[in-house]
Amino acid sequence: MKRLGFMLSAAALLVAGWTIFGSAAGRFDVKLTLDKQMVHVLNRMTFGPRPADLAEVRRLGVDKWIDQQLHPDRIPQNPALEAKLKPLESLQLAMWQIMDKYNAPPIGALPPMVSPLSTLPPLQVSKLTNGGSVEEKKAVLASLDPDTRRRLLATAPPQMMEGLPDELQQEAIKARQAEQEARQMEMRRLMPPLNELITPEQMRLARQGNPADKLALMDSFEPAKRQQVVRALGPQAFQDVPELRREAMLLTQPQQLVNSELIENKLNRAIYSNRQLEEVLVDFWMNHFNVFNGKGQDRVLLTSYERDAIRPNVFGHFKDLLLATAKHPAMLFYLDNWQSQAPRDDLPVPVGPNGAPVRRPGLNENYGRELMELHTMGVNGGYTQQDVIAVARAFTGWSIYDPNKYGEYQFNPAVHDRKEKIVLGHTLPPGRAEQDGLDVIDILAHHPSTAKFISRELAQRFVADDPPQALVDRMAETFTKTDGDLRAVMQTMFTSVEFSSEGAWQAKLKSPLEMVVSAVRSLNADTTDVFALAQRIADLGEPLYGHVEPTGYPNTGESWTNTAGILGRINFASALASGQVPGVKVDVSRFNFKPPASVAGDLLGYAPSASMLSSMEKGIEGKEATPSMLTGVVLSSPEFQRR
Amino acid sequence: MLTRRYFLRSSAIAVAGMGAAPAWILRAAAPQTRKQKILISIFQRGAADGLNIVVPHFEKRYYDLRPAIAVPAPGKPNGAIDLDGRFSLHPALQQLKPLWDSGQLAIVEATGSPDPNRSHFEAQDQMESGTPGKTTDDGWMNRALPRANASTSPVRAIAIGAKMPRTLRGNCNAVAVSDLQQFQVGNAPAAGILESMYASSSDAQLGSQGKETFEALKLIASINKTPYQPVNGAQYIGEFGNALRQIARLIKADAGVEAAFAEIGGWDHHSNEPGQLPGLLNQFGNSLAAFTRDMGDRMQDIALVTMSEFGRTAAEDGNNGTDHGHGSVMFVLGGPVHGGKVYGQWPGLQPEQLFEKRDLAVTTDYRAVLGELVRDHLGQSIEPVFPGFKPGNPLGLLKT
Repeated sequence: MKRLGFMLSAAALLVAGWTIFGSAAGRFDVKLTLDKQMVHVLNRMTFGPRPADLAEVRRLGVDKWIDQQLHPDRIPQNPALEAKLKPLESLQLAMWQIMDKYNAPPIGALPPMVSPLSTLPPLQVSKLTNGGSVEEKKAVLASLDPDTRRRLLATAPPQMMEGLPDELQQEAIKARQAEQEARQMEMRRLMPPLNELITPEQMRLARQGNPADKLALMDSFEPAKRQQVVRALGPQAFQDVPELRREAMLLTQPQQLVNSELIENKLNRAIYSNRQLEEVLVDFWMNHFNVFNGKGQDRVLLTSYERDAIRPNVFGHFKDLLLATAKHPAMLFYLDNWQSQAPRDDLPVPVGPNGAPVRRPGLNENYGRELMELHTMGVNGGYTQQDVIAVARAFTGWSIYDPNKYGEYQFNPAVHDRKEKIVLGHTLPPGRAEQDGLDVIDILAHHPSTAKFISRELAQRFVADDPPQALVDRMAETFTKTDGDLRAVMQTMFTSVEFSSEGAWQAKLKSPLEMVVSAVRSLNADTTDVFALAQRIADLGEPLYGHVEPTGYPNTGESWTNTAGILGRINFASALASGQVPGVKVDVSRFNFKPPASVAGDLLGYAPSASMLSSMEKGIEGKEATPSMLTGVVLSSPEFQRR
Repeated sequence: MLTRRYFLRSSAIAVAGMGAAPAWILRAAAPQTRKQKILISIFQRGAADGLNIVVPHFEKRYYDLRPAIAVPAPGKPNGAIDLDGRFSLHPALQQLKPLWDSGQLAIVEATGSPDPNRSHFEAQDQMESGTPGKTTDDGWMNRALPRANASTSPVRAIAIGAKMPRTLRGNCNAVAVSDLQQFQVGNAPAAGILESMYASSSDAQLGSQGKETFEALKLIASINKTPYQPVNGAQYIGEFGNALRQIARLIKADAGVEAAFAEIGGWDHHSNEPGQLPGLLNQFGNSLAAFTRDMGDRMQDIALVTMSEFGRTAAEDGNNGTDHGHGSVMFVLGGPVHGGKVYGQWPGLQPEQLFEKRDLAVTTDYRAVLGELVRDHLGQSIEPVFPGFKPGNPLGLLKT
């Protein structure tokens, strides 16, 4: 019996060749039926079909629908999306405005303890902190007025205190303690503890009340008190009230709010935008040119990076996209280029105020390497370690004007490496400043390895994990012929036999983002808050904007198919279907009294396999199968994990 | 043929499925696992700077190459912790010193892949494949597992995290678990349908993973019945600590773990290395020390090994960091380890001694280290695990 079962399923595997990962080779020449094509384009060029989408593709015809997605300006935007994006204030601001508003210390926080060192004459500073003798240090301290002396001792760096006698050490400890106590008092005055601000009953409402209770309670306070209460409660207390959560974040962790709004922006667009391919492409290129939100200032720089560098270029020329990322402070900061300078031996050594040489920064290879390996040529594209160094030297001076305050790109000629460089056989003559980097962008954007690598990456996202080489070659040809016109390259791909073939059908596994968003879309669910959805996606292994390494998230299925991933998806699906994901309103009443076959067919867009159907039918025999249970099961199925 | 152990394990699963899983059934079901040898592999993603983790403080040239970021020699303020007069631990690794002193911790210097690749993802893929210069679909640790039989545990090979690392991918069942406590199906009535749906699916990739998921679910559900309390004052910190805690819990529950994997990222310090390395090393060292304490005498069955895709430039770069390099350092920890010793041949840091005049050379192939653990700890032959690799003289990492 067991043996027979095995042989039967082996036979089924052969018949349904498309479901076997990697075994689809040879079937990329068999065209899908028209019905399948319609589901297929929706699965590949959107974040999953909404219930009405199939009818729209049928009405327009597949070719016309594809063409429309390739020209998003011809698609009227969904008015619901605008309303969802409206509360996200940071998205409407220019980069400098974001820096201005959210980079400041949290409102009400005490200014950091400032050492009066910076106000002293350089010679005194040098004596105190840079190897002055004990007698010299004592003399400087004796010359200060009592207040400056007290503040200096309270904030003294360890090297300043080194070797000083006990009585001065004691004085410093006392000064530090007094300063700390004073600050604590001030903090308490500015931010009284919660139990001094509100009654126990109010506290209970604020913590356990429903969203309306919480809003009403906060509205009942004077503005100043409201600020104190909201800050004391913090964002944790308002997980279920988006507007209060944002208010609390602005008060306690403003930088985090920028990132949180960027995530809300992404999910709302993925769920609601009518220009779905555009959103898929923004996600694809953000991942290709990955920047990690956990690295310092990148938290506040990413909003502009996506909006101003990536989004305007996803249907444009690759070179423009590449240059926009190369110049954006988010990338300059992430891969350290902003502080990369001509090798130390190449420039005169600067001298500090005390006459001693100052050690200035030198060369950093980080960006130069990833630019070729990940952004353009691919790891086997044919560059050497010498090319990495030459590219890094070419980009010296591509920097950021004050990354903590303004965060704008600036070329700094003073630190640029002026010598001649040879990049991939091209000679960059000496002394051409910013033009060096521009030339490198040009060389890389037109390199044949780049045409192949970018084409393969796109085909891997849209066709199959191991896309047919013939297709990649034709895309690369278009890339070269059109000077890297990405729309043209995608046209070659989307109109190819391979794209619409049995080999590509259901060959891709959804990433966590794709799985979660496609489930929400398939149910036409309404979101009032996407915060919980973002958390779910992170739990499934894809925290948005949160990939540490420059490689980005994998484009292929094997890293997502594992026990943790499958269980996570199962649990998300049933929570979603039964309305247990906060902020997401789900209505499955359209499945009332519907049999499993109809629920599965509706959510998948095609008729479920016999084995899937029989598992469902046997499983509900003699039980009450609610629509939400059936929905959860279909969204958990192997079929729904593919696109 | 059904063994007694299989029967007991099945019973445990059946009982667990019904909502009560006495710990004795599990323990009785797995009497052999007490002697089961366990191999744990830790990956430091991002290319950890071996030279600042285990400091060659006897090399004056180390201080010349790294004027701003060198770890001060032992005895200086914030100095490294001397091991053998030549090498010393970064001060943030102080919790590992007692393990060195008690002979449980060995260090292999100037080790890594013979392939000169400096790409993070390629070098990681190749190292996890166990095949320098190329990538295979399966990982070395999966190939190191013996063929499964009826009594093999569904969690014999376990990776902590939401993704399955290449190290453990392959023909043998391997499961990924983010958090044991949350490893359960929320909607119990649907579980049966889904189990059958995945089992009968023609989707080769998802079907088999689904089957493994449901087997692991039952076993882990029974383990979760007993709350977990680390012992001997073990305090796991950070995400990495939490990963080791999960592994410890499974091992102590006699779940039949043979191979485990955990990772810790964030080592790519191109700038401001002194500002970042100590915090990361603190989490790394504390977690390894906590795991050792928590395991107590179970460490007798455990060998744990750490690795990173490559090391970093011998000289500091222009921003108080280091760029992509070559040779690095591995730690080998466990009861069977012949520790308290730095293994490997030190290649030196003079320009002509460096690899391509810039990086610490590799004098010990990382496969030599892993190979000894595969052969002497797991009792498997090296060839299928590291195809084409010819081990030289044994390092003698394990007690015989």
